[in-house]
Amino acid sequence: MRYMMIVKHKEAQGMPPKELMDAIGKLTEEAIKAGTLLGNGGLLPTAAGASVRLSGGRVTVMDGPFTEAKEIIGGYALFELKSKEEAVQGAIGFMELHKKLWPGWEGETEVREMMMSTDCAAKK
Amino acid sequence: MQFLMLVKHGENPGPPPKEFLEAMAKLGEDAAKSGTMIASGGLVPISKSTRVRLARGQVTAIDGPYTEAKEVVGGFAMFELKSKEEAIEGAKNFMELHKKYWPGWEGETEIRQVLGPEAFEQKA
Repeated sequence: MRYMMIVKHKEAQGMPPKELMDAIGKLTEEAIKAGTLLGNGGLLPTAAGASVRLSGGRVTVMDGPFTEAKEIIGGYALFELKSKEEAVQGAIGFMELHKKLWPGWEGETEVREMMMSTDCAAKK
Repeated sequence: MQFLMLVKHGENPGPPPKEFLEAMAKLGEDAAKSGTMIASGGLVPISKSTRVRLARGQVTAIDGPYTEAKEVVGGFAMFELKSKEEAIEGAKNFMELHKKYWPGWEGETEIRQVLGPEAFEQKA
């Protein structure tokens, strides 16, 4: 089963502590070795993004930043796991890591099962 | 430059029309052939998902659905593109496709640039 983890938090929280970056680096390496992590990444601030909206039959483009959003998506990861329980345990571990190594950080990891996927990179 | 496109809409948009699915499949094929699309996927309804939140020093897992969310992420695609403009053009086309083949659908495509070149590791 494939899962997408979506990490959300307030925008502009400053740089994460080096200890957290190191711990996430280690976690990532282990997950790649175990074959569970298919891809992950951090996103640039919403100021570098845009949103294209269809509403009332009209398509409109809005450049970032998304100032009206309470929390924004800051990063994501794609996993191949055996169960939702494994996915939730992984998300709990990831949030515990933030609790331990980034005092004051608040946010969440949304655990979403994928129902269909194409993995173009793997075909190359 | 890598871009993550996140498609957001109301929690229950209903089943997509057949014409829409066909148009989307063709778009996906074209993008995969051109080498711009790295991965994509649809996500199962938020009612079957869990979010793990860290707030005030406490990690809590909360099962969906989340009644306070106006719109949820329903799918995503990852692209390798030359510029943000190209990303916006692609998202506009995608929303126009919804407009044409899925009457009444409302929602948006959030365009976010991904940090770093190694964002999508190939599965070993």
